[in-house]
Amino acid sequence: MSDASDEELLRRARNNDTAAFEELVGRSRDRVFGVALRILHSEAEAAEVAQETFLSAWRSLGQLSGDQFSHWVHRIAANRALMRLRHQKVANQVEESIESPKFNARGSLIESVADWAPTAEGASLDAELRRAIEEASQSLPESARQVFLLHDVEGLDYQQISEITKDSVAALKSRLHRARLAMRAAIDRFYAEKGSEP
Amino acid sequence: MHTCKEAIELLAAYLDGELPPAQKQALEEHLGACAPCVDFVATYRQTPGLCKKALEAKMPKDLADSLSAFLRKHTAA
Repeated sequence: MSDASDEELLRRARNNDTAAFEELVGRSRDRVFGVALRILHSEAEAAEVAQETFLSAWRSLGQLSGDQFSHWVHRIAANRALMRLRHQKVANQVEESIESPKFNARGSLIESVADWAPTAEGASLDAELRRAIEEASQSLPESARQVFLLHDVEGLDYQQISEITKDSVAALKSRLHRARLAMRAAIDRFYAEKGSEP
Repeated sequence: MHTCKEAIELLAAYLDGELPPAQKQALEEHLGACAPCVDFVATYRQTPGLCKKALEAKMPKDLADSLSAFLRKHTAA
């Protein structure tokens, strides 16, 4: 890896410097692959999305304003992965199927929260917790999973997600809240079960 | 004063700083008097960060090598 800034590499890549472009690809490859993998659950398909994304980026370098190559290809990859997903299946799960907290008739919480202390900030994640989170994210309804991945994992804002999914920001916010509740419940269940082990 | 159910419905907007002042105050009054909701909010706040860590992915070396070969072939002048 060179010390050149992304801006400098981008300038050189625009002048057909393939080595500079390859360096840019190396810097953003994991992020591009990661977003496609989380959406498609297939390494092979995620690798194809990465190929398509970077080839498309190479052919459109002149259209990129500014120096945000990494953000640009990240959004192209998210878009392409979602388009593939739409071809694969129709999102037909209703939002009510997402797990919600339990309340009594007066609207008071009737569940206790497990001890999450083992996940102190900066600690590495337990492999079992990682698996529990992966499984929980895969069982979210597709529309909720998309906004959860794009917002909470990929760091896109509501407006950017709305441009990709064509959903209203209000709908996205509602789905994200439902998804977080379900993911929180899955993590809490993991710790409750772990805490009850002998 | 909100119920727990109403308070939890407002959490996302509260944490995004988007609640109108009166609703924010009512929610904070509820949180000031409801230990289960305080625990719930703490774990709700931790959830995105934990999920982000859990779902991080690196491109395997064989796929990264294939990508490099593919791009060299297609970007050659």
